[in-house]
Amino acid sequence: MPRLKLKTFDGSGIQFELTITPMRDLLLDILTQSASPEAVSWLRETLRDQEREFKKRPFYYAFSGVSRHFDKRARITATESQLAGLEARTPGFTVREWDQFRLARVILLILLGEQKRDVFLETIKSLLNTADLREQSAIYSAYSLLPHSEDLVESAIDGLRSNIVDIFDSIALNNPFPAAHFTDAAWNQMVLKALFISRPLYRIEGLDLRKNDDLALAISYLAHERWAAGRRIPAEAWRNCVGFVSEEISNDLHHLLETGEPTDREAAALVLASDGEPRLADLRGRLEGEIDAIGSGTLSWERLGEKLEFPVTLNGSPAKP
Amino acid sequence: MRFLDSHVHMVSRTTDDYQRMAASGVTAIIEPSFWQGQPRTEPGTFKDYFNTLIGFERFRASQFGIKHYCTIGLNPKEANNEKLAEAVMELLPLYICKEGVVGIGEIGFDDQTRAEEKFLRLQAQLALEANLPIQIHTPHRDKKVGTIRTMDVLEDVGVAPGKVIIDHNNEETVKAVLDRGYWAAFTIYPHTKLGNERLVEILREYGAERIIVDSAADWGISDALAVPKTAALLKDRGISLDRIEQVTYRNPLAAYEQSGQISERDWEGSEGIDPTSLFEGNTILRGGMDVETAMSQYLIE
Repeated sequence: MPRLKLKTFDGSGIQFELTITPMRDLLLDILTQSASPEAVSWLRETLRDQEREFKKRPFYYAFSGVSRHFDKRARITATESQLAGLEARTPGFTVREWDQFRLARVILLILLGEQKRDVFLETIKSLLNTADLREQSAIYSAYSLLPHSEDLVESAIDGLRSNIVDIFDSIALNNPFPAAHFTDAAWNQMVLKALFISRPLYRIEGLDLRKNDDLALAISYLAHERWAAGRRIPAEAWRNCVGFVSEEISNDLHHLLETGEPTDREAAALVLASDGEPRLADLRGRLEGEIDAIGSGTLSWERLGEKLEFPVTLNGSPAKP
Repeated sequence: MRFLDSHVHMVSRTTDDYQRMAASGVTAIIEPSFWQGQPRTEPGTFKDYFNTLIGFERFRASQFGIKHYCTIGLNPKEANNEKLAEAVMELLPLYICKEGVVGIGEIGFDDQTRAEEKFLRLQAQLALEANLPIQIHTPHRDKKVGTIRTMDVLEDVGVAPGKVIIDHNNEETVKAVLDRGYWAAFTIYPHTKLGNERLVEILREYGAERIIVDSAADWGISDALAVPKTAALLKDRGISLDRIEQVTYRNPLAAYEQSGQISERDWEGSEGIDPTSLFEGNTILRGGMDVETAMSQYLIE
């Protein structure tokens, strides 16, 4: 399957058709495996009606009415080859951990994306303006599959201002949209907020591609603030400093060895492993065990992230920005 | 013991209330759309209010382990601003099919004007179309006449009484409401509505079938613990635990389950509260933050 990116779509209908139809069909196949036959046939019928003639009001009803047909407790199951198919069509996009509501709504949104630009933008705006929590998450999850990305960026940034973890996650985690479309300033705010509300950085798509000088510095300042208050900074944060180890940050790395926290040492070693700065030579000597673990593959940013990940529960601790 | 408070305006309550409710066994709540004290002047403020009910308030409740549902509607007081009311009617279809919306409410009469009747009828029709239960607010003034008039209007539109919960009943209205096949809810609200001792007598006279107890706690002097406190009083006065559970949990659940949007499965596995610890005197606030406890924890971390 060719790697066609929707965000490059600029009005050429042929390219659009080729890309979008298989994605919607693939997602519908995945949903069919998980959901009841009645629910799926309701959705297929709705899609057929809306394909014939797009009507806004019935579309609104269908979008919220997903909750009346599908099972909110049921998770989606996709085969490895289906997941690979999603990755081939839109790199970074996945339906892992999704529930039926989200997938059914994303399929409807892809159909919405096939409408004229003004109809699409107007409809998605009013959906977002009246959306409940799961609906908002579904809308943001679909962003990387929708056209006119440049018109969606502001609303994604606005969504990240939410205090509600599930909404923040639907944009920031396992979603290729921010890395592809955010400015550095917006990207940096997202990563910093993820740290503030204890979200797992390793699940942010494109983290290593979008790191930058300003972000590395902001991480360092945040660490100083936390340390002054006798608090900690999640070890994953230092991943954003790889390749940007200034004098100041190299001092921070030294400090990481003093915290007594094994994950801090591991983070320092991971930064060192990909940085040839000679002034860090003495640190290497003090982190031999960790550096060996990197060499043998038992330590990586992914592994560290998984280890640190806060379990996601509905009744988790309140998120404060 | 678990409680379902089917009428409580949480947007007006603090986290202290949520903590105490959770500690007292309130497992699920239904928040009706209502007047917010300050009359609204724009349809957009209704939209944001509805968004709060299906959004942030639901999230806030979940932080305390409480499942939050709502009913969506145009309240009778603001139905009198007809131009605004028309605009709100345009908004309602966007919300009524949403997850966790268990009815149209709270609607009914306030001043019993022509405009109020018009919007009661329109919303009753909407409930029929969406196959949703209706939560009825009965008026403070001229309550008996207003309650009977409400039932007349609903039956005229073709609504089945079994899908309607009539709230804020008292000794004067309960008989007619039950006789005509409706659910009769009693709001335990200090001073202006019903004290819970009166409810003991009502239960002795009418039994527990189709009777519901709620708090209607809001921005006035009201009690977010009215349901668990009433349960404790009923136990004290010799009403059986089964009957208490019926009016504080099973009946409201059965009434609103007709929406297909609320089910015991939603909170299955959540921790129940030990009824014996609940009913022993003042342990009702155990786990909550009373003043003494709050002040004893003076270290702010």
